[in-house]
Amino acid sequence: MFSQRQYIWKVLVRELGIWAHRPIYVIGSLVTMIMCTVFYLTFLGQGVPSDLPIGVVDLDNSSVSRTFSSQLDATQAGKVIHFETFSEARDAMQKGNITGFCVLPSGLNADIQAQRQPTITFYTNGLYFLGGTLAYKDLLTMSNLTSGAVHRQVLRMKGLDDATIMNLLRPVDVDIHMIGNSTMDYGAYLSTTLLPGMLEMVIIILIIYSFGAELKYGTSRHLLRTAGGKMRNAIAGKVLMYTLYFTAIGLALEIILYDWMGFPLAGSIWNMFLDVFLLVISSEAVGIFIIGLFPVTRFALSIGALFSILSISLSGFTLPIETAPPYIQGLSWIVPIRHYYLFAVQEAIFGSGFAGWYQEIIHMLLFLFLPYTVHTRLKKAYIYQNYPKN
Amino acid sequence: MSYVKNWFKDFWNTFVREFIDIFSDGGVLIIFFVAGFGYPLLYNLVYKNGVLNDTPIAIVDNADCALSHRFIRELDATREVSVQANCINMEEAKKLMQERKVKGIVYIPSDFDDNAARLETARLSVYTDMGSFIYYKNLLTAANSVMLAEMNRIGVERYCAQGLTIQQARQLVQPVKYESNNPYNQTNSYSIFLISAILLVIVQQTMFYGMSLLTGTRREQFKGVGLLNKDMSGYGVGRVVLGRAAAYWFVYLGIAMYIAFIVPAIFDIPQRGSFWDILVLLAFYLTATVTFCLTWSSLITKRETVFVLLLFISPIALFLTGFSWPTSAFPKFWKLFSYAFPSTFGVQAYINLNTAGGDLSTVTFQIVALTIQSICYYFLACIAMYIENIYMLKKASFLRKREALARKIGFSIEQNRRIIGGEDAAKEYIDQLK
Repeated sequence: MFSQRQYIWKVLVRELGIWAHRPIYVIGSLVTMIMCTVFYLTFLGQGVPSDLPIGVVDLDNSSVSRTFSSQLDATQAGKVIHFETFSEARDAMQKGNITGFCVLPSGLNADIQAQRQPTITFYTNGLYFLGGTLAYKDLLTMSNLTSGAVHRQVLRMKGLDDATIMNLLRPVDVDIHMIGNSTMDYGAYLSTTLLPGMLEMVIIILIIYSFGAELKYGTSRHLLRTAGGKMRNAIAGKVLMYTLYFTAIGLALEIILYDWMGFPLAGSIWNMFLDVFLLVISSEAVGIFIIGLFPVTRFALSIGALFSILSISLSGFTLPIETAPPYIQGLSWIVPIRHYYLFAVQEAIFGSGFAGWYQEIIHMLLFLFLPYTVHTRLKKAYIYQNYPKN
Repeated sequence: MSYVKNWFKDFWNTFVREFIDIFSDGGVLIIFFVAGFGYPLLYNLVYKNGVLNDTPIAIVDNADCALSHRFIRELDATREVSVQANCINMEEAKKLMQERKVKGIVYIPSDFDDNAARLETARLSVYTDMGSFIYYKNLLTAANSVMLAEMNRIGVERYCAQGLTIQQARQLVQPVKYESNNPYNQTNSYSIFLISAILLVIVQQTMFYGMSLLTGTRREQFKGVGLLNKDMSGYGVGRVVLGRAAAYWFVYLGIAMYIAFIVPAIFDIPQRGSFWDILVLLAFYLTATVTFCLTWSSLITKRETVFVLLLFISPIALFLTGFSWPTSAFPKFWKLFSYAFPSTFGVQAYINLNTAGGDLSTVTFQIVALTIQSICYYFLACIAMYIENIYMLKKASFLRKREALARKIGFSIEQNRRIIGGEDAAKEYIDQLK
């Protein structure tokens, strides 16, 4: 007889043997994570999109309208594309070729000189959220600047000095301070939650596959024998190995995000390590729960896939979860990445430390009860192998 | 004549066999019908109210004057934000923000009123929680619109005080007016933007996972994905691929029509396009998707592996449609990469037709791209099947050669099979060698 510790060790060694013979485990975890990391970090690498195509329909062709176009073109966000008519521009927007356009009416300059308050009209494509919003912001700024330039010219003619003019032009001003992401870096915003979300997905899927493959290939009894007949040892051995492995991947991910890429982090990276470790163990618990509940590999994998893809939406990092109906808000509690995200907001954005995120530790630790609920069911499935293999 | 007859006979047989296989595999049915039908509904529920109204903010008003009061009132009246707390100092407000009870702070310094009275610029500061960009967007929009309104108002007041008429003052303060329109998504709803993009991605991804499952199953049973009649020995690949494609095409026509027409109707997503235009698009999109899936699923050798290996592609395919990060800002490599997915063009065309209300002329580029994809993937699928057929015919000799090679380097495949799959798998392997 061996001690419990020895059984767990034997299961772990057995698992390593399986890994060595089946590349799917490494490809499905490490290689997948590397590909995702490379994709999101290079795809969003620019941080803020620049040179968005914005249309200008210049019906005036005066010095004012030409200045408007060239200044719009000079902004970081915009790149001007000229159109002859309104319908050409509308067509281009409908095709998705431009994210917005503005119409400078004929007689713009003359109307300004005559103080007839002409109107610049602009249209943005709200179906491309980021592009549309940036185009709107750019066009709005440009119209206000045009107004301001004319205003300033009038005041100069009156002989006022520039300091007084500035005060008259801007009686009220607002400074916006963006807490936790001062450059509005879209890449930092998305990848700091998306990539841990992909890690959660990889963990859930691989855990289900690992436990399910024992059923599918009929090796579950061998696993139980190795574990000394105790399901507890079998789970512990496998989970020990996966925890070490995924924690290493998780720590590497945090280092890449917050150290190497230098994404904003108000608190300490050590606390983020804790966060990702909790994400790893809670996701493992979810994986074991799913395969225990449905001991049919293919079915459990489908459920796991559904769950982990949906959890990215349920984390609420893009559209805040408070907009969702109440039952969906409740559903978000059973998603590990939701708690990871709430923890990360406290640590990375506010640097609030333990007081800010201790509740999330409790929430994520609660997931660890899940495997106990399916322990017996999974053991029976392992012994009797009485579920369909496919 | 007999060639044509034969062609149709083979095509029909493959078509029927594939159809029967689809409907007799529970796993495939779950993915095609349960996921295909359920996923769009789930996404719609999550993003049901796509607009975040009344983001809670805290106010720190150190000026406590008529102007600051008016500013706060106007902020509170916007759709985007709602004042939840009046704090005595920044510390208190920061604490509320950290507890995430408010998502932003408006700080009005004590010199706000004095500056305004001295005809200087009165400054105030806004702090926003960047935990979600929507909070930022709401605060920015609200603060900007109130600021612009106040700027004009104060400006007009000042010039009036100098003796100008209101009309003159207005003309001076705002020599150019503007008017903004957001015709396709007037409330800037997140759901309209996201759901329009996600729907056709679901079509492509569920088809891919389902088809891969079926391919993997056949491979596990040591059958090829599309075996040819023995006497055709290779030159009948085209009709077999077409037969399989047709089966999926017809099954998915129903699913895609449900996703493209019925789901938006249930959840009040705008449907501005014409039915027939979108149907034409679906026909092209499905053709490209089926051939795409036939090509890539031929790489799957085991029933479950597609989820383990390729689930991560789904969000990537969604990003590659350019629905969020604009296509014009794609790095070159990823732009080229995005051309490999039918969803890239399908989603763009669907947004143009359905949500922006264009007609077929607005999607010519995408239709042409989908056609090119269909042709390329059709030939790739044919090549994949041709190679597989050769492999299946000469499988035993291939395996024997591999075994010999493995023995030479002192590596036992049989032993491996035993470790992974138990005694049965090892026996099966030995049988295959014979």
